[in-house]
Amino acid sequence: MSEKWKQEKWAEDIWYRGKVTRRSIVGWGGGAIGAMMLVPAPWRAAFGAEKAYKIGSEQPLSGPGAAGGKTAVVGLQMAADRINGSGGVNGRPIELVIADDESSPAVARQKTEKLVSEDNIDLHVGGFLSNICLACMPVWEDAKIVNIISVCLDTTLTTSKCNRYSFRPYDYAPAQAVAFAPTLTKMGKKWHVAFTDYSWGQSTRDAYINEIKKNGGEIVGTTGIPLGTPDMTPFLSKISGDFDGLFGIFFGKDGVTLVTQAYDLGLTKKYKFAGDGSISESTNLIAIGNKIDGFIGINRYIPVFQGPLDTPYHHKFFDEAKARLLKIDPSGPLPDKYVQSNYEAINCVKLGIEKSKFQGRADTMKLIEALEGLVMKAGEDFPQGDKVLRKEDHQAFPQEFIFEVSGGTYHLKETVPGDKTMAPPACNFSA
Amino acid sequence: MHAVSQLFHAIPFDLLFIQTVNGVVTGMILALIASGLTLIFGIMDVVNFAHGELFMLGAYLGFVIFVTTGSFWLALIGASLIIAILGAAMQIVTLRPLIGRDPLNTILVTFGISLVLQNYALWQFGPVVRKIPEPVDRYFTLFYLQYPWYRILIAVLSAAIIAGFYLFLKYGKFGVWIRATAQDRIMAQAMGIPVPWVFTGVFAIGAAMAGASGVLFAPMVGVSHTMGLDWILKAFIVVVVGGMGNLAGSIVAAIFISLLEAYSSVWLDPSQAVIVSFVVLILTLLFRPTGLFVSTSK
Repeated sequence: MSEKWKQEKWAEDIWYRGKVTRRSIVGWGGGAIGAMMLVPAPWRAAFGAEKAYKIGSEQPLSGPGAAGGKTAVVGLQMAADRINGSGGVNGRPIELVIADDESSPAVARQKTEKLVSEDNIDLHVGGFLSNICLACMPVWEDAKIVNIISVCLDTTLTTSKCNRYSFRPYDYAPAQAVAFAPTLTKMGKKWHVAFTDYSWGQSTRDAYINEIKKNGGEIVGTTGIPLGTPDMTPFLSKISGDFDGLFGIFFGKDGVTLVTQAYDLGLTKKYKFAGDGSISESTNLIAIGNKIDGFIGINRYIPVFQGPLDTPYHHKFFDEAKARLLKIDPSGPLPDKYVQSNYEAINCVKLGIEKSKFQGRADTMKLIEALEGLVMKAGEDFPQGDKVLRKEDHQAFPQEFIFEVSGGTYHLKETVPGDKTMAPPACNFSA
Repeated sequence: MHAVSQLFHAIPFDLLFIQTVNGVVTGMILALIASGLTLIFGIMDVVNFAHGELFMLGAYLGFVIFVTTGSFWLALIGASLIIAILGAAMQIVTLRPLIGRDPLNTILVTFGISLVLQNYALWQFGPVVRKIPEPVDRYFTLFYLQYPWYRILIAVLSAAIIAGFYLFLKYGKFGVWIRATAQDRIMAQAMGIPVPWVFTGVFAIGAAMAGASGVLFAPMVGVSHTMGLDWILKAFIVVVVGGMGNLAGSIVAAIFISLLEAYSSVWLDPSQAVIVSFVVLILTLLFRPTGLFVSTSK
């Protein structure tokens, strides 16, 4: 059956009668190339003739970080679809190459090498767990590939361990601490800090200790709890004494564990309770219930339409992200900062590529120069608000939202503009 | 005399008492998880790497039943039964064909199942952490803390489940079959005991215990696809320290390790206190590889 076509007349004409000659191939081929040259560029772009920009993205899609990794990918995909739907960047579409780092720095290093050498990505946008970002930053630097960090919050990524190739187009703990410390010291002078005992928790603890002290407050004690500790009660039971507030630095399900068990031991009733907004991300609120009522937090993004977040472009971002999140979780979570920062990171790359006319890895330095000092204006690309990527350390300073959680939702208390969150640069690219 | 008095003043007795309660509660949850693990190893020589995922699935099923019925107790019983059936099916389909093969085969299979179950839960339920409310939301004062009665209830329920299982092993017909199979598999088969079905039953019981502990623990941490990972490492330490396959040893080891960690955290940095259980594991492997709580007399 499959050989029957060979007996057809047209097939015999082509293959067996010697009618395909070098001359006819050159003739038809030349005609085709000439016709393509006459066709306008947008036509070619619309029909996918242009080579796509390959953007690698390492995300934890399995293991302990998988819950956050899944929502991060929603943000990436949403931005890529929107860009491709409107003609791409410089007429070229974006292709995402997503690698699962399995929440492990060792696996992440291997996947990074693969993205560089086998997948031949043009640049990287991603990184969720700080220990993984720290492990992979030298690889991006060695390969001379631009690395746009999209979730990792470890302070040192843009301070002592910074490099020329890595950028963080959202906030970090020193900026949040600058923004939040005046509120904290108004709530009370003496604080106890409980933190998740790994790179992000430790650097965030240090940032808050500095700023609380600068604002006339005092740290009476700190309690580090290892990442993923299921029963925190033995650790929390030690927290006692004369102080005003308990400050928590946790994320993911560790945030749920902290709030639930601190509430059960009466700590959040006895002391004022505040902390990093990662504790109260929308994906955690359902499990925590009313045990978090009264919590004061800070975050670069909260899914509400209050103050500067009540804009048409935020409504649009929120609605689309919510619809996409419903596809990965039947409970229909609201967008969180992981969706927001990944969405905006891709749009940041888009601006950089447009500005630098970046074509591929050979143009990496041109892209770096375009990203340094890049101004991102609030709008559909950046629904969170205005921000600038500071040239000296590749760190952005977006506006911060101080909020209270009650009745299962967020209530915006104060918006701190980005320029009021500035921490001095502490990065030396030549080091 | 003055030095002794000073030493007594330096010991925070209130914190020691609180940590004793914490250690016993955590130890009982750990004992419930570890007893299923050690039972499966003791009878079948299977190191079940999917045990943590059965714990996690138990919690998710408990959540589904709770949302449907509104009853925590129905969730506890229903989830345990369904996980028992799932465990039996898992044993028949994947482990029974491997009986008599190299133990590495069963390790790889159970590890593979753990990955499948974990990713299935993430796919099916999504990244949002789910909640099962505690059935008892009252508290009592314990020195400077309020202490939830629910934690005490967990310890009591875990003890009751383990005690019920012990009585079943000692006096139940199937329990006698299990003990006979554990003592001499070939002789038990020669005496007419259906050994393959005993294996299936044992796996189902171990799975049910993991499922029950998942539901019991869920109100304290929320339900997520990685909640099993957090417990399984410690459960393996307990099984090794207690003696592989030794049920009573595992229970004592669970409480011993939990108390040790809780007391250590009084004087050490809490993150250093976690290392204590690993130190005990290494010392056990070096000096008493059969387990700390196994009698050496013949």
